[in-house]
Amino acid sequence: MPPWVDFEPFIVSGLALGGVYALSGVGLVVLYRATGVLYLAFGAVGALGALIAWSLITRAGAPGWAGWLACVAVAGAVTLAYGLLFGPALARRDPLIKAVATIGLTLILYGVMDLLWTTSGGQARSLTLPTDNGGFTVAQIQVTWTQVIALAAGVVLTVGTGAFLRLTKLGTAMRAMANDRDITATLGVPVRKVEAAAWLGCGILGGIAGLLLADLVALDATTLTFLVISSLAAVLIARLRSITVTFVAAIVIGLLHDLLTPIASLTSYRDMTPFVIAAIGLLVLSRHQVMTQSREEA
Amino acid sequence: MRATLERASPARIARRPTRPQLIKVGITTVLLLFAFFALPELLSLYYVDTMTQVAVYSIVTLALGLLVGRVGLYSLGQAAVLAIGAWAAARLLFATTQPYPLVLLEAGLITMLAGLLIGLPALRLRGLYLALITLMLAGSITVVLATVNFPNGGHGFLGYNGGLLHIPPIRRPSIAASDPAYFRYSMVVAVLMFALVLAHIKTRPGRAWAAIRQSEPAALAAGINIWFYKLWAFALASFITGVAGGVLAGAIHYLYSINFPTQDSITLLAVTLMGGVFSLWGAVVAALLYQFLPALLNNWGVSADWLIILFGVGVLQVLTTAPAGLADQVPRDLARLGRFLGRRLRRRPGGDAE
Repeated sequence: MPPWVDFEPFIVSGLALGGVYALSGVGLVVLYRATGVLYLAFGAVGALGALIAWSLITRAGAPGWAGWLACVAVAGAVTLAYGLLFGPALARRDPLIKAVATIGLTLILYGVMDLLWTTSGGQARSLTLPTDNGGFTVAQIQVTWTQVIALAAGVVLTVGTGAFLRLTKLGTAMRAMANDRDITATLGVPVRKVEAAAWLGCGILGGIAGLLLADLVALDATTLTFLVISSLAAVLIARLRSITVTFVAAIVIGLLHDLLTPIASLTSYRDMTPFVIAAIGLLVLSRHQVMTQSREEA
Repeated sequence: MRATLERASPARIARRPTRPQLIKVGITTVLLLFAFFALPELLSLYYVDTMTQVAVYSIVTLALGLLVGRVGLYSLGQAAVLAIGAWAAARLLFATTQPYPLVLLEAGLITMLAGLLIGLPALRLRGLYLALITLMLAGSITVVLATVNFPNGGHGFLGYNGGLLHIPPIRRPSIAASDPAYFRYSMVVAVLMFALVLAHIKTRPGRAWAAIRQSEPAALAAGINIWFYKLWAFALASFITGVAGGVLAGAIHYLYSINFPTQDSITLLAVTLMGGVFSLWGAVVAALLYQFLPALLNNWGVSADWLIILFGVGVLQVLTTAPAGLADQVPRDLARLGRFLGRRLRRRPGGDAE
């Protein structure tokens, strides 16, 4: 076991990673609750946004803020477009089918990204945020502003989304739809509009997560697209329901993942962390299953 | 839904096969004989190798189609199961001098055991959760494989030696050392696996699976042991995927963990859905989509990314409009076209100009 000093820097990076997982997880849970869709293309839209931001900034010489805005806008627009096109068509299908359909979108986006931003050339792209340079030291640990932003974004969005769902009219409508779409529609809630809002919100979160992960992890279509699997782990432990549990699970996963890095015998297995935690969590949580016929089955 | 219209094939009274059935069997036999005898002679070595891959992957998509179409279990970890089979076969082939068919059988059984170990706890989950847990497990297996690597003739349990300069190729059966011979060998294995699955579908397990897919509560009420039959399907799918892994090991001679990324599992589900999960032909179509089309595009110098995009569009199309996939849609459209042309031709001589 290495000395504690070796672990210290990884607490910071782990918390930052956990923050982004939490941000992604909250976006996924809100969309799932409102529309019944587990959005597996979450990583792909973020990656697309980040790559477009990269092109705008490094190739077209656009100012940084324009690139980041474009990233978030593209992710939001693609997600909203998918939701408007395929949401109604699949609204009455099983959650499993809805999730598999988003795999279709993932593959399309992945193909497009690989075509336009070829990785075979070997040149590594990177998207650095100006917040990387600034920072401060806590107990001799270097902390960058990006890491602070990542964790803060996770916290703020979890709290903010919780408040939004509880306090606003739109949030109440989303919670109502999570319970029963048909009854909500009967009560006069504009179901399609509420769903569209959820899609747009989820897409915007995807864009923000893509931007942060491109900086914290790597700007690479494959990595970013399939990093969503790691955020899914937190969502699964929360059983696609609670944003608080999602947040806690995401932080734990991020922390554990990075804290395993200095341990020589485990370091090459650290990428398994989310999967193992999700598997154990799910299996423990599913001990007492009840067979239901409802569409809301879990 | 068309899916629910699938025959549950009740225990039928022995009767003579109908004409469409005979035609189907006839076409299948002719196609198989053609592929076995003529195909390796007609194709260049590049395409013979491709067709070997098609044979291997048709077994994989067959297993996945069985789970998805017959039982309603969506697995997002099939490429990882294939990797386990390939690993086991490669280890056995390096360690022993057993005959190849025996190694294939053992690789299948080892993979089946691994599948059962995964399936036992995972099958408590259903639907979306089961699909996601298979994705998680596939992710874990990929990470483990990236660390332990595939056997390359080294010693020890893992059989990997990173310092080896001359890596020996994974051996092939002596009767199928050349590429065309190995294609025929893979085809025979594939046909056997298809026969194994067909035998299951036509008998008691197949009926139980059909009942489970339509409604678990109803199947339970009918006295079907849901858990047992689901586990059986899982075991069978793992077994044949493991055998496919064994064939794959001999086909490509050298195995690397980067050949089995997690996203392959996702692409495999996509092509399986596109090919069609309610018919055994769907597995062949899916394998052609997955292995033949990329080889063709590669030969033409077109990027394989177009294919990924096509698969994405295909998944969306299958889920929204054509649940039975290409294996169902193409013959139906061809028949419709045939009828249309037939009507046209019959009308022509009458001088009917529109």
